[in-house]
Amino acid sequence: MIEKIKQWLQDGIIDVFLGYKMVMGHPLPHCFVKEKIEEVDDLIIGSSRYSLEKIATHISAAKPDIKIGMLARDCNQRALNVLYIWNQLNPDNVKTVNVNCCPSNLKEHGDCSYIEPETPGIYKQQVGVDNTHRPQDIERCDQPERLSRWMYEFQKCIKCYGCRNICPVCFCQECSLEHKELVGTGALPPEVPIFHLVRAVHMAGRCIDCGLCEDACPVDIPLRLLYRKVNEIVVNVFDYGTGSSADQSPFSILGDKVTLEPKPIQLPETDPCVVSIASEAN
Amino acid sequence: MQCKLVPSICSYCGTGCGVLFEVIDGKIVSTLPMKTHPVNEGKLCIKGWNLHEHVNSFLRLKQPLIKAFGRFIKADWEEAIQLAADRFREIIEKYGPDAVGILVSAKITNEENYLAQKFARAVIGTNNVDHCARL
Repeated sequence: MIEKIKQWLQDGIIDVFLGYKMVMGHPLPHCFVKEKIEEVDDLIIGSSRYSLEKIATHISAAKPDIKIGMLARDCNQRALNVLYIWNQLNPDNVKTVNVNCCPSNLKEHGDCSYIEPETPGIYKQQVGVDNTHRPQDIERCDQPERLSRWMYEFQKCIKCYGCRNICPVCFCQECSLEHKELVGTGALPPEVPIFHLVRAVHMAGRCIDCGLCEDACPVDIPLRLLYRKVNEIVVNVFDYGTGSSADQSPFSILGDKVTLEPKPIQLPETDPCVVSIASEAN
Repeated sequence: MQCKLVPSICSYCGTGCGVLFEVIDGKIVSTLPMKTHPVNEGKLCIKGWNLHEHVNSFLRLKQPLIKAFGRFIKADWEEAIQLAADRFREIIEKYGPDAVGILVSAKITNEENYLAQKFARAVIGTNNVDHCARL
C-alpha cells in the first residue's frame, strides 16, 4: 500500500494523500505530499477515525483542481458518494485506497474505533433511550413513553453543535440550526425537541450512518439511532440507500431532472408517518 | 497548497481538552476534537469547536491599545509596557503595594501562573493574588 501511494504521489496521479500518522503517541490524520515523500513510510491505517473526506472538501474548496488521495473505510466511501452527489467534491479528482472497516460478526479484524456503544447505566435504561438499540427496539414502547424517553435525551443537549461540526456530509454555508427564527438563541437546553428534529429532518437522504456524531456527543444522545429511523423511511419510500452509490439522490434538485419519486411498492399502512410522506410526494 | 493537521490543547478553560487544528495555506479553517486524547475523548464544548473563529476574528486584538482621552489608541509594546510600569510605580508609591492585585488564569500555563505570583510577591510586594475561576 505504501509503495503504491508513493508511486501515485511521484507520478502526479495525486497531489496530496490523506491518511493517518502517529504524532506524539496519537494516531492523527496527516496530509502526505510529494515534497516530503519519505513521510509516507510512517503511514498507518489508524485505530481512531476522523472524517478525512471533510478535510478533503476543505482542501478542494481552497484549490478546486487539486487531486486528492485518501484512505477510505466503508463509511468514508459512503460519505464520498454523498459529497459527489451534492457537488462538494469532484469524483475525477479523488482516488481512494480502501481499508478494513469496523469489526463485525463477518469480519473479526477491523481497523476502526467504532465499537458498539456502551450499555447505558440503570437510570438511562429507565428513562432514556438505549444507544445500542435499533429503531425497531425503541418502537416496542408506546408513543407517550417513546416521547418521554426521547425528551429526556434531548434535554441533556448542551448545544455544542458537535454533531453538526463533525458530520462529514454537513457542508451548508448557512445552517438552519443557526437560524434565529428556527432555533432560538441564548437558552440551554436548546429548543427541545426542535433543535434535534430540524437536524434529523436534514439528515434524511444525507446521513451515511458513520456514527461520528454519536462519538462526538458529550452527553451521549443516541443520534445514530434517530438518523437511522429517518433513513429507514427514506429507504421505504424512495428505495434509496444513502451513500450506496454516487447516483443522483431523490432529494437533489440539482441536475437535469428532479427524481423525487416514491418506490413502486405497496406501502405498509400501519406506519402513518411513511404514508403521509408518500401521499405528499404523489 | 499546504495542509497541516496540528494537535494542540484548547486554551479556553483549564480543563485542557485535546484539539486538532486543520491548517490550510497557513490559515486555521477548522477545529476538531482529538479522539485519543485522555481528557476529552473526542468530545468538545461549543467554545472548543469554535477556536478557529477566535483566531481568525477581525475583532481580535493584535497590538496593545492605550486609553487616552476616553478612546483606545493603538500603541507598540514598548510604549504600553512603559506606561503600565510607570502607573504601577505611581500607585505603589502613593497607596502602598497592597493597592495592587494580580489576577491569574486557568487559560495560561502553570509556569506563567508561577511567574505572575512571583511578580506580585517579589516585584510589587503584595499577597493579593487571585484566580479568574473565583469570579
